[in-house]
Amino acid sequence: MKGFLYLYQRTIINRVKKALKRPVTYLMAVFFLFYIVMIYNSFHVMILEGSFNSPKNMVTILSLVIFWLIPANLVSYAKRKGLLFRPSEVHFVFSSPVSPKMVLVFAGVKSFAVNVIIGIVIAVAGVMWFEASLWQMLVYFLFFVVFESILELSAIILCYGNERLPEKFFKGLVLAMYAFMAVMVGIGAYLMITEEPYFGLLQNFFAMPVVQMVPVVGWNVAVTRLIFLGPDIVNLIGTALFLISTILMFAAAWRMECTGAYYEDAMKFADEYQERRAKQKKGVASVPWLEKRRKFKQASVEYKGSYAKAIYFRQMLEYKKNPTFIFGWNTLLCLGLGVLIGAVGYFNDAVSQFGPARVFIVPGVASYMVFLFSGYATKWSKELENPYTYLIPDTPFKKMWYATKIEHMRAIVDGIFITLPGAFVFGLGPVLTVLTILLYVCLQANRLYYGMLADALVGNTLGNTGRNLIKVLLQGIAICIGIIGAVVAGVLISVEAGFFIMIVVMGLLTFAGAAAASVSFAKMEVLD
Amino acid sequence: MLEIQNLTKKYGHQLAVDHVSFTVPGGQVGILLGPNGAGKSTIIKSIAGLLRYEGGVGIEQMPARALEAKRIFAYVPEIPAMFDALTVREHIEYVRRAYNSPITDEGIEKLLARFELEDKQGKLGNELSKGMMQKVSICCALAIQPKVILLDEPMVGLDPAAIKELKEVVLELKSQGTTILISTHMLEMVKELWDVMFIMERGKIIGTFTREQTKDTDIEELFFQITGGGEQP
Repeated sequence: MKGFLYLYQRTIINRVKKALKRPVTYLMAVFFLFYIVMIYNSFHVMILEGSFNSPKNMVTILSLVIFWLIPANLVSYAKRKGLLFRPSEVHFVFSSPVSPKMVLVFAGVKSFAVNVIIGIVIAVAGVMWFEASLWQMLVYFLFFVVFESILELSAIILCYGNERLPEKFFKGLVLAMYAFMAVMVGIGAYLMITEEPYFGLLQNFFAMPVVQMVPVVGWNVAVTRLIFLGPDIVNLIGTALFLISTILMFAAAWRMECTGAYYEDAMKFADEYQERRAKQKKGVASVPWLEKRRKFKQASVEYKGSYAKAIYFRQMLEYKKNPTFIFGWNTLLCLGLGVLIGAVGYFNDAVSQFGPARVFIVPGVASYMVFLFSGYATKWSKELENPYTYLIPDTPFKKMWYATKIEHMRAIVDGIFITLPGAFVFGLGPVLTVLTILLYVCLQANRLYYGMLADALVGNTLGNTGRNLIKVLLQGIAICIGIIGAVVAGVLISVEAGFFIMIVVMGLLTFAGAAAASVSFAKMEVLD
Repeated sequence: MLEIQNLTKKYGHQLAVDHVSFTVPGGQVGILLGPNGAGKSTIIKSIAGLLRYEGGVGIEQMPARALEAKRIFAYVPEIPAMFDALTVREHIEYVRRAYNSPITDEGIEKLLARFELEDKQGKLGNELSKGMMQKVSICCALAIQPKVILLDEPMVGLDPAAIKELKEVVLELKSQGTTILISTHMLEMVKELWDVMFIMERGKIIGTFTREQTKDTDIEELFFQITGGGEQP
């Protein structure tokens, strides 16, 4: 216990001290404040002008959150993946003389700390916008932060610490929770289809006695209704059941014997999480359950060149072993987006609505997508972690080109998917269609090389956010210059010429950025 | 004393450790040897209480999972993991409090000096190299002043001076009556330390030797005679 308190106290103090020394903290604080003000203003207008400011509406929103969050949390606890333990805790805490239940309590409290902040936000929002009184918000805060946390903590101990119930029981519990969530989504879908979708529908749903009698989740809703809407028989029974269940679960958790068998699952999850976090830091898209099942095919490749070209052929060999070759989620996303553009255009008669401007729809959506999504790192980024990349006797620019060549091939396929359905619906000619695809390829290359350039320029000094901001800034400048060129050529010559000039301008700027970014392939320390 | 009785561990259907029993008598140094994949790490993690297993593990005749046993038990894992936001000194301070260890500030200073960490006391966990982390991990284990200590590949990543120091520490601990179990591949490094040797293969102990039994036989020779060397399929 003394050790735990010391650990968390020092961790918080050191983190705060470290953060205060970093300039990016102040930058982020300004952004955060700006964001809060923006959110406040937009909510203020939305809630007051939309006459949304009734306690009934607040209860409905809170009930919705309860119905979504509690089953999701219980599922994660039953799978023993809801609590986050780090490898350092496995090393220093699990083998220490602390009761395994106490380890769970501290891990729970750590994750509930955020509940206090959420509780304060709800309390402030309730008083400011939803006509709730101060005492109502205080009672709700007490319920949310204290009683709800006790209930959840007991659930954590019962799920993690239970060493008697078989694994099948927890698998069944997870399935039951998923079934419950599916039924809820099903009811929601049914109501949306059969009735006119409006907010009152949700209000009526949560007011139903049967909903308030759903164990744990419904009882939570009942308590919320009692606090904000006043007592009725159903919510009084629900509240009583909530309190009884909390007391019983707490007592069961208290009495249950726990020797720490869950450490094995927690350790496994800690390693998985650490791996996922490391990948996310590098911008690698990671779908753990998919990766576990990934099997590689037999494949071969003929190396038609040496030096830096070998990087390209080795990547090609790896991709050939991959069941989906060079394609992944992004390809599907592009196909989906392409079909969506085509369908929306077709059903809204875009040809007559947009007139000649329809040619800009696909490039507009594609640019927005490229600009908005930060993109994910693929095999090319791994080249930067491999010392052999730097040892190959070739120029950094060539190494960069062959490390990223497949990205351009992928961009061509993605560009075709995103463009063709829209091009067909909007009646774009073959020249414009090809130019649109090329523009997409150019935008993707721009994002790739400017991201690399931002990495090389700022390294780790501004963190991930800082790097992304620099990248977006550089990209924004390039796109603006490209658009100016395109507009001039478009007005003076033709739309095709506009597209062509934009591709040429963007291509040149991308090439310049790529040349500068190739420094990343010169020395390994650039990225440290 | 460290006792392992009939320890069995399965990962799904795969049997990693098969009814393993052995004892490291009090105040002696045991070494656990075996090719890669033999099951050494599984045994070590089971003793440390990190895995579920069948069978029993006893620390000074107490069940290993009992808090009393944990109070006198120290573990140095193969791959150290530090708290990002804790300094070297704070790691040791945490251990002192978590174990209610009698180690004094002076004792901590001495420990840090032995492993050349005095000037690194203020460094955060995420600022340390792998070798430094290993040194901190060893210092933390020693700060417990344990009766039983488990070292999993403790020499990996250490510089020659630290390896020399660790060997001396092991001999000192032994002279103080501490029971030690070391799992390692570095046979050369434990040559002069061991009292009892356990050789594992395919999840089983295939050889147990005491120093008296083997007399002057070279530890490497003995190991290759028993296992034939190499990795487990």
